[in-house]
Amino acid sequence: MEFEQIYKMYWDRIFRLCMGFVNDYDTAQDLTQETFIIVWQKLETFRNESAIGTWIFRIASNNCLRQIEKQKRFPKSELPIHLSEEKQHSIEPQIQFLYKCIAELPETDRIIISLELEDIKQNEIAKIVGLSEANVRVKIHRIKEKLTQKFKENEQR
Amino acid sequence: MNNDNNIDFKDLWKKQSVSQPDLTDLLARLSKFKKAALRSLWMINILLSVTSVFIVFIWIYYQPQFVSTKIGIVLTILAMVVYVFVYNKLMGDYKNIDATQPNQEYLQKLISIKKKQQFLQTKMMSFYFMALTLGICLYMYEYASRMSALGAGLAYGITLLWMLFNWFYIRPKQIKKQQEKINTLIEKFEEVDNQLRS
Repeated sequence: MEFEQIYKMYWDRIFRLCMGFVNDYDTAQDLTQETFIIVWQKLETFRNESAIGTWIFRIASNNCLRQIEKQKRFPKSELPIHLSEEKQHSIEPQIQFLYKCIAELPETDRIIISLELEDIKQNEIAKIVGLSEANVRVKIHRIKEKLTQKFKENEQR
Repeated sequence: MNNDNNIDFKDLWKKQSVSQPDLTDLLARLSKFKKAALRSLWMINILLSVTSVFIVFIWIYYQPQFVSTKIGIVLTILAMVVYVFVYNKLMGDYKNIDATQPNQEYLQKLISIKKKQQFLQTKMMSFYFMALTLGICLYMYEYASRMSALGAGLAYGITLLWMLFNWFYIRPKQIKKQQEKINTLIEKFEEVDNQLRS
């Protein structure tokens, strides 16, 4: 597949995955770009052993995991007020709340639920994360329960 | 799709506003990235060549008589070269982890490389200081032997004092700083890895 085609097809999906991981528009944008730089570098080595989607989502989620290190270097709390948050992206509060809840989950849960919400089959998620399918199913179930609960608590407030 | 009071997360998820940047943006960043990679490769090579030229220059220009001087020079330069080389090798390993493997394997690779780095940093730092001290002492011998006893004693005394200060103060401090940073990182990666096991 051509790089340009991949870029157009997957950009939005990768962006949402990164957004679910960090819940920060600019960081997610950066992470997505980094992902595509790796995709561009590695595309030659891609042999159709797995689906291209699985391959790309592996790169993206690994890149998210690696950003943990950068986070350590620039703790978010120490940064001045995020200017970008006020401008643009005035999305519905419910959407915002969903991404906020997801970004508060343990790191690997963020990846798993993001992939699930992206309509990726559970056996593919298992291949991306490196868990058994049964394990993935249980995890997704638990995460969804957790999210539902958070949403309900939020409504009552 | 939605049974009873369930919330449609998928629908909400996909409503997140997304603005796909133009491909040219990415291509611009790509070329910058390639240039930076090339530049860092050049930096290492230039550094190594300059050190090699330096060693040859001292050798030829000063014509040291004693073999101890020559060993001293080689040892000092070698310490630096080895340090730079190992450090870059580690950074390279870290940067080149295969990003297309499953998360679990990727995390394990990250942890193993960080642990290797943790081990090597301490060892390397001690090796570096030791080789440097020994190298300088050997190097000085030829010149000190031409001085008076007092002069030689003073030269060695001051040098060794400085080295001791480095060994007992700077080195542990440096190691501690590096270790703290790397330990918190390993802990964090292990914590994430454990999430997959529970």
